[in-house]
Parts: sequence; C-alpha cells; structure tokens
Amino acid sequence: MAYPFVHPDETRVLSKHFGEPEARTLAGWEARGGYQALRKAVEMGPAEIVSEVKDSGLRGRGGAGFPTGVKWSFMPQASGKPHYLLCNADESEPGTFKDRELIRWTPHQLIEGCLIGARAINVQHVYIYNRGEFFETTQILARAIEEAYEAGYIGKDILGSGVDIDITLHMGAGAYICGEETGLMNSLEGRRGEPRLKPPFPAAVGAFGRPTTINNVETLCAVPHIVTHGGEWYRQWGTEKSPGTKLFCVSGHVRKPGNYEVPLGFNFREFIYEMCGGPPEGRALKAVIPGGSSVPILRPEEIDIGMDYEAMAAAGTMLGCGSVIVMDETTDIVKQVRRMSDFYTHESCGQCTPCREGTAWASRILKRIEDGWGSEEDLDTLLELSENMAGKTICTFSDAAAAPIVSSVQKFRDDYLALIRRGENLAASA
Amino acid sequence: MPDSKKNPGFAGITGDFKVTEAEIRGTEYVGVRAVDGGHASVSGTLPFQVASRGASDQPLFEGAHGERLEKILSRYEDPQGALLPALHLAHEIRGHLSPEAMDAVAERLGLSPAYVRGVASFYTMYNLQPLGRYLIQVCTNISCNLCGGDEVMRAFLKHTGIEPGEVSEDGLWTVIEVECLAACGFPTAVQINERYFENVRPEDVPAILDRLRKEAPEMGAPAAPTGSES
Amino acid sequence: MAPHNAQNDTVTCTIDGLEVTVPAGTRLIEAAARVGIEVPHYCYHPGLSAPAQCRMCLVEMEGAPKLLPACTAQAGDGNVIHTHSEKSLKAREGVLEFLLLNHPLDCPVCDQSGECGLQDYVAEEGRKMGRFVEPKRILGRDDFGGDVLYYGDRCIMCTRCVRFMREVAQDERLTVVQRGHRAVIDTFFDEGLEGSLWAGNVVDVCPVGSLVSKDFLHKARAWDLDRSPSVCPNCSQGCNISIQTFNNQVTRLKPRPNMEVNSHWMCDYGRHNYQWMNRGNRIEAPMVRRDGKLVAVSWSEAMRTLADTLGKGSHAVRAVVSPFLSNEDMGALRRVMETMGGGDGVYRVETGEEAELPGFPTLKLRRDRAANGVGAELFGYRRAGGDDGTGGLDDLAGHDDVLFVAGDEIQDAPTTFGEKAAVFVYLGHALSDATRNADVVLPATSFAEMEGTFTNYERRIQRFLPALQGPGMSRPIWQILGVLLAGISEKAAPATIDDAFDALAEVRDDFGALSFRTIAPRGTVLPGFPALSEAAGR
Repeated sequence: MAYPFVHPDETRVLSKHFGEPEARTLAGWEARGGYQALRKAVEMGPAEIVSEVKDSGLRGRGGAGFPTGVKWSFMPQASGKPHYLLCNADESEPGTFKDRELIRWTPHQLIEGCLIGARAINVQHVYIYNRGEFFETTQILARAIEEAYEAGYIGKDILGSGVDIDITLHMGAGAYICGEETGLMNSLEGRRGEPRLKPPFPAAVGAFGRPTTINNVETLCAVPHIVTHGGEWYRQWGTEKSPGTKLFCVSGHVRKPGNYEVPLGFNFREFIYEMCGGPPEGRALKAVIPGGSSVPILRPEEIDIGMDYEAMAAAGTMLGCGSVIVMDETTDIVKQVRRMSDFYTHESCGQCTPCREGTAWASRILKRIEDGWGSEEDLDTLLELSENMAGKTICTFSDAAAAPIVSSVQKFRDDYLALIRRGENLAASA
Repeated sequence: MPDSKKNPGFAGITGDFKVTEAEIRGTEYVGVRAVDGGHASVSGTLPFQVASRGASDQPLFEGAHGERLEKILSRYEDPQGALLPALHLAHEIRGHLSPEAMDAVAERLGLSPAYVRGVASFYTMYNLQPLGRYLIQVCTNISCNLCGGDEVMRAFLKHTGIEPGEVSEDGLWTVIEVECLAACGFPTAVQINERYFENVRPEDVPAILDRLRKEAPEMGAPAAPTGSES
Repeated sequence: MAPHNAQNDTVTCTIDGLEVTVPAGTRLIEAAARVGIEVPHYCYHPGLSAPAQCRMCLVEMEGAPKLLPACTAQAGDGNVIHTHSEKSLKAREGVLEFLLLNHPLDCPVCDQSGECGLQDYVAEEGRKMGRFVEPKRILGRDDFGGDVLYYGDRCIMCTRCVRFMREVAQDERLTVVQRGHRAVIDTFFDEGLEGSLWAGNVVDVCPVGSLVSKDFLHKARAWDLDRSPSVCPNCSQGCNISIQTFNNQVTRLKPRPNMEVNSHWMCDYGRHNYQWMNRGNRIEAPMVRRDGKLVAVSWSEAMRTLADTLGKGSHAVRAVVSPFLSNEDMGALRRVMETMGGGDGVYRVETGEEAELPGFPTLKLRRDRAANGVGAELFGYRRAGGDDGTGGLDDLAGHDDVLFVAGDEIQDAPTTFGEKAAVFVYLGHALSDATRNADVVLPATSFAEMEGTFTNYERRIQRFLPALQGPGMSRPIWQILGVLLAGISEKAAPATIDDAFDALAEVRDDFGALSFRTIAPRGTVLPGFPALSEAAGR
C-alpha cells in the first residue's frame, strides 16, 4: 500500500485514501466525493459507460490485461434471464496484496465500481467473491455494503433511477485456483473450484449457466474514476496500449515494501531502486519477479524496461497483477523456486493429468536438487516436464507453475549446478 | 530483513504511525455483528468462524443460525450456491466439519453427502478434524520466505512445543504452514484464527503467544469472538 | 477453409488425411472413429460427459495455436486434424509418463492387466523408460462396499466412475476427495456403494485396474478369458452382454453397448446372477423308464422310443416351459403340441421390484426376472403360478395324457406330479423329485451353451451365441424336439439354428418377415410392434 510508505512520485488515484480510517465509512467516503460517479452512471446508461471505459483503455488488473470495455461489450443485451457480474477478490497470487488493501481502506470504492460495472452490462446481481482467509477485510466490506444498502445505493430503484442492483458478498474457502475465473464460477455455484473448459465463455455461459462477466477488484475500483473524469482523463497516464495507473505490490528484499501506485510504463529499475529503496543494506540485486510468482523471473540486467503489459512481454515475462518480488544476492534461488513449486503442487486442482502430476514431480525433483542429490539430467527433465505441462491443460495454471521453473533453470543454471556439484563432491568424499 | 517500520497490523506495535490497531483492523467500524448475519447480502460472511472453534454442540441451523442460512439461501438462484457459506456456518458452529455436519448440510441443501465431502475436502479452510483453540497459520510462501518465514514457523513450533498440524496438550495451539496470505509486503504474515499478524519476526513469537493465552478463556468455555458480543 | 456445406447439418473435415463427413456438432474423437482412427483417451467415455481432463486425446488442428482435446472439440468444416502428429504424440507421451509416475506397475497381480488402457497406450506411445526416481506415493486399497474394491495407487483420476454415479445412476455416492496430486476417489466415509443396483458399472468404466470386482478378484487373467456375445437372461430387459468364461466356467458377465437397449450398462442383479450357468449336477445322457427305473440310453434310442410311444395319433398335451428357454425352443415345443392336436402350455416366472436407471430410463431391471417371458406369451404359453415363480401346476399334476416339462425343474411340484400321465417327457438340466417321475428325460443345453434368440419386454428379438460347452450329451431343445417332430410327422428336422428360427413362422406369421441371419446387431423389434423406447420418443 501506499501506506505505510508514500513516495512523492506516486500517482495516487485508487490508493489516495489508504491509511485513512474515516474513508471506509459511508460518510467519510461521501465527503471524499464518493458515489458521485454512481449518480452520473445511472444517468449515463449502459452503452455510454461501456464506451467511456473502452475509451479509457482500462485493462483487466487480475493478470491477463484484457481490455475491460471490450470484455463488457461481449455481454449479451438484456435477455430476460439474470446476468451476473462477479468481482474477483480471491487474491492469492504469491506476491500480491493490493486487493486486500483496496477493500480494507476503500470498501465503498469497490462497491461503487461494482454498481457502475453492473449498470454498464445490465446486471441485477453482483457477487463479490472474497478470499476466505480475509475475515477482517470481509467484515469491513460487509459493513460497507450494509451502509450502502441503507443509504439506497444498492438494492431496488437505486437513487430513484429505477435500476435494481443487488450485491452479495461470498466467501471462498481456501483455494488459489478459485482466482481463475471459471474456477471461481464453479466455486460460487458450490462445486469444487475446478476451472471449466472454454468455450463456452463466461459471457455466454457463466455462473449458474447465465451470461457472466468477471472483473478484478482493482479494475472495478478504477471504474468510478473513469466515469467521473472521462476516458481521456485516464489516458493522461501510462502508455498508448497500457493506459492509466496501477498498484504495484512490492515484497521481498527491498527497504520499503508495500503498495505503490504509479502510471503504467514507469521505469522498472527506477521503481525498485528509487521508489522502494532497493535491496536492504546495499546488497546487490539477484533476481526480480515482476508480476507474481506465475511469471518468468528477470535478471538484474533485464529490468531497464517499462512497467507495462507490452514491455514486460517483450522482455519475455508478464506484468501479471503487478506483484514485484525482489530477491537480493543472498537468495537461494533453487530453494525459492522449490517453495513456489510446492505452492503450485498444493494448489493444483488436480483435474488435468499434466498439472496434477507434473507439479508434484517438479517439486520433488527440486527438493532433491536442493538437498544435494540432483544431477544435470534432472535439469533437462525439469525443462521437459515443464514443456509437457504448459499449454496442455484446461486452464493456464500449468503454465504458471512451469514459468518459474523454466526461467530459473535457464537464467540461474549456475545456482542449480553449484548445488549439484556440492552434492557430488560430498558423495565423492564420503 | 527490510529496515522498515513495523506495520500496526501486528497488534500493539503501532510505532510511528498515527493509526491504531483497531483502526487498521476496522473493528470499531465493523462493530458488533449479529449472529443472524445482519443484512442478507453479507450474511454469508463469518466473523466468528474460527473464534468459536469447538464451541457448541447445539443443533446446526437452528435459531439465529437457521435465520442466517435462510438469508444466505435467498441470495442464490440454485441452493447449491449456498454450499460454501453453509459449510462455513456449520464450521463456525462446530469448530470443524465432521461427517455429521457435512451430512446435515447435504440434507439441508438437497445434495448428496459424498458430493458435499468432495467439495469440503477441496478447500483448505474447512478443517475436517478438531484443532487447537488457536489455529496459527504461518505464511512460508516466497515473499515471506525471502524475509524469514521458515524461521517464524520454527519459532511458533518451538514455543508451542508441537509439530505441524498437531493439537497441543492444553488444546490451545495448532500450527500449520499456509500458502500466501496476501500480505506479502509485511512479512512474515501470520494468520491466527481470523486475525492477521503482520511483520512477525521470530523474536515476536513469545509475546504473541502470551497475548493469545491471556485472551483465551477458561479451557472448555467458548470465547467471546473478537469484535462481537458472542 | 473449405466452403461451407450447402446444408449446415453436416461438416466435412480431414483427419489424418482421410476425409470424413459427420453431423455438425460431432466431436473429433467420434469423427476419427468413423474413419477407423482411435484417439487414445481415458476420461472420455461415450456414455458419459467429457470433462477433457485426462489430456490424453490432444490432437493437432492446423491453424489452432494449441493442441485440442478431441473428446470435446467439435469437428468444423474444412478442419485438418492430425491425431498422430509429432506434437500430439509428444504431448501424449508426456501424459503417459505423468500417469505412470505414481502408478505401481503391479500388472502381474492386477485384474485389469491385459485389458488395461494404461498398458495399451504406454505400449503404443509411451516412453521406453520413465525418469521418475522418487519413491512412489502409496495409498493402498479401499473397500467401497458392494462388489467394488478401489486400488488408489492405480487410479489415474479420470473420474469416469464419479460421473457414472452422478450422471447415469444419479446416485452420487462417489466423489473426488482432496485436490491436486493428493486427490483420490472416495465415498461418504462409511457409506459405500452397498445397495446400489448399478455400482458394478463403475468397474467397467474404469480404464485401469483401480476399481475391480471382488467377485472376479484374482479369478482369471483377462487374456485367458473367452468372450461370447450374449443377452442377459436375468430379466426381460435383454441387456446385451459378453459372457466371459475360463475353462468352460462363466467368470463374469460384462455389458456390451447397445444404444437401443442398455446403452453401455447393466444392473448388478443381472451381472452377478451367473453361478447357475456353471452348475455341476447336470443330466448328461438321455434316459428312458424301463421296469420303473430311468436308464441311460443313446440319443437315437431315446428319440425312437419317444416317437414310438407318442405315435402319430392325437393327444391331449399339457406343457410347462421355463421362461429362460429361447424362442426356438419354445416354438419347437409349440409345433410338437400343434402336431399332436394342440394343447395348453404354461410358464412360471419369478418377479421382483422394477428398478430404473435414471440416466438411461429405458433400461430397467424389469419385473420379470427371466429373459423370455414375452417369448413364451408369443408362442402361446400362458402365465401361471405366483410372483415367486412357483405354483400354478395343480391342474397339470394329475394330467393323464402327454405331459411336457421343458427347462422348468418344477422343484415345488408335488412328488406325485405326472404319475398319472400317459407319457411324461422332461427336457432340462437337472432332476427334481417331480421330474424323476418322467418317462423320458432328455438333457438340454442352457442358453449359455447354445445359439438362439430371446424376445425382450418390447418384443425385440436378440441373438445370443454359445459361451460354454454343454455337458455330456446335452442338446438344444429345439434340436431335440425337431427330431421328435420328424419322428411323429412328415416335417423335416431342423439342421441348423437358421432352420429352427425359420420354423417359428409356422407358429407365428410375424416371424415370417425375419430370418436368424438378418436380425440386426442391436436386435430387431418384431414387426407390427413399435419399440417401446421409440414410442417413448427416444
């Protein structure tokens, strides 16, 4: 969060009121201009909202970066059956902690975003799928929803406009894969959170078999600002293809970890060293994961790039959800990759063979290498099993699981070899 | 370790920050939540879930809890949608999910017990066995791990004197590793029942355990859940 | 892309160089099957939904960025599919290696060995050597109740069994418990599959040796079994089955797909009711009564004696037939009776509760717990006795002219049964107190030991083939009675089952339109009677 550290170079749009306890109350939020965007939106009508969001170029902040306005335009026009908007607050990508802070400090910002989103795609019922572990933040959001119901912002005939929108807060129960949109839908329906085959896509057959759109918390939080100020205003920041500001979650070996809101395209090196203070005690940088544990690792010499979707892709990695994990020279890369791999083993839903078996196998090979019993052939096996996993499954979880393994074996092969050699030497001397 | 100030998320140490722990947790704002779940839109949320662990053998889904389930059911077009909240509720009442509780949920929602078991076992937050009064979940995923999550885990094990997943003899503690708690900027993140403790260092562990021990009620009697009237 | 077909109801695509035209919406795996190409698969089963989760059936489509699961991807016009391209072979090799990581390779003691999907595909497309050096995960086995045993280690998590119970039996007693590599199939704690009428099918759908039958456990190796297509004799549904035998003993019954009768399934009542086919106390030689005692004689002597005794005159004939007899058997007896001047025949059948398979509602365990009660009706026998298949013989017991008992052992008949009969002929498998009164005893084969047809509840005529050798000198009843008929009339004895079937037209005109060889593989509904399943709009 911008809180507890606020850097003067930040562009605080979504995170402006972090650290202000009054901002989470309805009165406090209204005093900060809250719900003005909703008033405007109910007058604007769906098509105009969608077009404004399209103009803004806002892209999904959950990781894939799909343009939000375009996603909304896939929703069929009112078809007589219920349509749903799902807000994905199942934040569980290692390294990511922006949605929890957005909900904790500005719950009404999210509610307003949900309502405007629902208005834009003619939805009468919004489900906010909150991560189950977020007991405290869920209660804050729950209180805010109750307040908004009392004030007539949610419910029947919102602000006298004739528009009905309900919001239901739904808690998950501990499964990373429910952050995947179709896994989330299954979970919402009371099933095992296993991702679904696509097609059909959610806009056609989604939650409870109805047309459904799923947006990330941060995406929806940006919507009220766009509606208030217009799409062009939002484009004052960022790049042509990645406009706007974004929250970046910085963790690991940096002096000032936290959430920082900067325009997309911000220089990555400057961000790590200037804004976040770089690695502590002047230690050297060893590696950076720019977008959460599911994206390929970058070496220190690769970070002179912009923090936007295109530049990250050009560097062979992904912006993901903007979760910057910094590792300094003291880091045992193999151990950390093994730990990430354990995570994927634990969280694989187990439907598809390559992911179910591949993640567990990779973990065990990595553990063996870490313990000094590895061989060079193991590295080839790791690469090949990753290739056999990635892109061969229903969802992209297997790609995510393979990314840290493949990128680390390619970029930090020496770290692996050192452990392998040490093990061989120990064995030889024994 | 980052040379950062402590996040007041860790109770008691608010350092130089203006905000208090209560303000961070939002306890004053949230206030006392009703057992019947309050407004139907948020009745599926569970303020007392872990706090009332093992508290009750009263019938499931009766009285205020029954009202809460009715409210939850009103929010889904298919009763099956209420399965996760209903399991949470059963978990809240019983402290864990026993076969009997799953069976009751299945019957209430018109599902097969085996199906309910399949769903319940998919999610890590449904504890299928009774646990200690405090479930201590230490994040050892990458961001916390880089900053010493493993040591914090070891410290909790050392000071509670148990192995991961066990219940301590006094029935107070269960310590397990947990996957990313989405508090990566404040390592090490520890979730104890419903509360987050952030920026936990190994040396903070005894103080945390002391504080919890003081808060813990007489063994056997249910505790007043945090921020609630019980 | 090829131009769209003029009509939108078919599409034409190319699979491994072969062009195939299929109805729109056909899945690639089925389109490939039409041109004889098998795409390896595990989770796909034609009778179940396809979750596309085993990732075995990945095929390459030109122009598609990723490999596609053939079990769900639909064939599109102009698609060019390669099922065995380098990319798809590599992907499948990878999946097979993953599946074998924790698989115990206990094929020598596994019942599935020899008919195992994992064995077959690994032999075809798998790696020569696995690279997994870690210790394997050990789960052991779990008794699911009923006849089903679960070996967790062998499971490949295709979830066919879970889907069968959910979608077809609609009795969701199986589920995937836990997730990821810790996932196993399980029931709700102690509540197993006990009491489910359809649970045996989960053993059939399991592509590996994970779900096995306790009844069949370690009884025989798959490759030692002889398999004969047949029809389940245990109720009037007429499920198509394969009788699987080892050393001339039936070891198990398995369903054979017939979409018009039983889809891919059969009930456990039928499945487990086969021990009677293996009974040992069979009559092995014809016997005639001489000086008050039954004496074994040759077939020619027995038949001559019987024909001479009956002569060519007319008689008052009474008969009891078993509803387990084939159409040909029953028809042959009816012809004998007609030749002798007609007479009254009865059959008795045990009945029970009807039970429907919800996911394929035209499949029921029918009330009549015998295959051919409808056949008996068609050939003019009337139902007698009670619901337990006994009684109803009082007016036959003291009959004083010719008495035939065919197939039915009449265990419940009084010991004086048939004592007053001028001629008492028994054709059957074993002697009871009542049938010991017979003047002529002729050893008959059971349905499992002969060719023939049954008529099921909807008058569908279905063929079955012999699975066992009949004991000793036993013969099909149609053959025995055909010879007898030649002895007491001018009619020729049937030389083959075709002749026996053709002769049925003498008894019933509607059989004239059929011949034994032209009965469809799925059975032919007797002309003039619409199949009930069609009438129900299926």
